[in-house]
Amino acid sequence: MNQPRISESGEKFCQEVFAQMMEQSHAVYGVLISTVDGHDVTKRFKREMPVAKLSAMMGSVLALGETIAREAQQERCRYVIVENSDGFILTLKLKEKLVLTVIASADANLGLLHTLSRNAVEKLAKSLK
Amino acid sequence: MSEIKLIITGTPGAGKTTAIAAISETPPVRTDQATTDDLADLKEETTVAMDFGDLTLEDGQKVFLYGTPGQRRFEFMWKILVQGGLGLILLVDCSRDDPLADMDMYLENFADFIEETGVVIGLTRRDECESPDLDDFYERLDRWGTVFPILEVDVRKREDVSLMINALISTIEFA
Repeated sequence: MNQPRISESGEKFCQEVFAQMMEQSHAVYGVLISTVDGHDVTKRFKREMPVAKLSAMMGSVLALGETIAREAQQERCRYVIVENSDGFILTLKLKEKLVLTVIASADANLGLLHTLSRNAVEKLAKSLK
Repeated sequence: MSEIKLIITGTPGAGKTTAIAAISETPPVRTDQATTDDLADLKEETTVAMDFGDLTLEDGQKVFLYGTPGQRRFEFMWKILVQGGLGLILLVDCSRDDPLADMDMYLENFADFIEETGVVIGLTRRDECESPDLDDFYERLDRWGTVFPILEVDVRKREDVSLMINALISTIEFA
C-alpha cells in the first residue's frame, strides 16, 4: 500500500520537535503523527503502544470531534482531549491531512500540554510539506 | 413508536455513505477525511468513524442507519457501532478484484453480530463486471451453512436502499 511517508530530514526534524516537547514536559510519554485517514507517519514513544491502532483511532476521534462541533453549530474543532484517571490524550489537526497526538501522564498540566501541542503544530506545519 | 438501529458495512467505495445519503430524511452525519493512500485513486475522501442517517417506515417505526468505515484498520469502530444494532446490510463492490473474498471477510468479522441478528447482502457496481455472478455468491454462502438475501442494488437510488432495509427487517422479523 502506498502509505504517506516523510523525508529523512523531515523525520529528523519531527524527532527533534518531539524530544523538545518531552523535555518541556516530562509527563509527555508519547507523540504521534498520523494521517487523517488513520495511517501512522512517525512517532516517539517512551513506552510500547500499538501505533497502527492508535493512528486509526486518532483519525476517527478527531473526525468525530469535528463532526460533533458542526452538529452543535460550533466552528473549527481545535483539540479533542481524552482525560483519563491516569493521563491525557490530546489530539489536533496538523495541516490538512495530518494529525498530531500527544499522550501524557496524569501529572501533566493541561494548559502546558495545550501550549506545547499548539507550538509543535506550528513548527511542524512550517517544515512538513 | 419503536426504533430500529441498522448497520451498513462493506468495502471502501462500496457506497455506504451514498446509501445513507440516498435515504436519510435528515442531512446525514458524515466523518469523511482526505484519503492519503492507494484508495485516493478511487475517491478523494473516506469515512473514518461513522455515517449516520434516519428514516421513518410506513408503520411509523424509526430507523437509524449507522455506516461503518470500510477499511479493516477501523475494525474497532465496527465493534462499537454494532452495539444495540438489530441487523446488518453488507455492501459488496463487484468491481473490486475479489468480491467473494471481500464478502467472506466481512461475514467473518461480523459473524457474532449476524448470528444474533440478520444480514442482507447488497451487490454494487454490477454493471462494471461480469463475474462473479449471483450464483457464485450463493454458492459461496453455502460454505457458511446458511442463506442470506442477496440483492443487486444501485445505492444512489432511494428505492434500492429501501429494498435492502425492508428485506433486512423481514429477515429479522421472521428469524
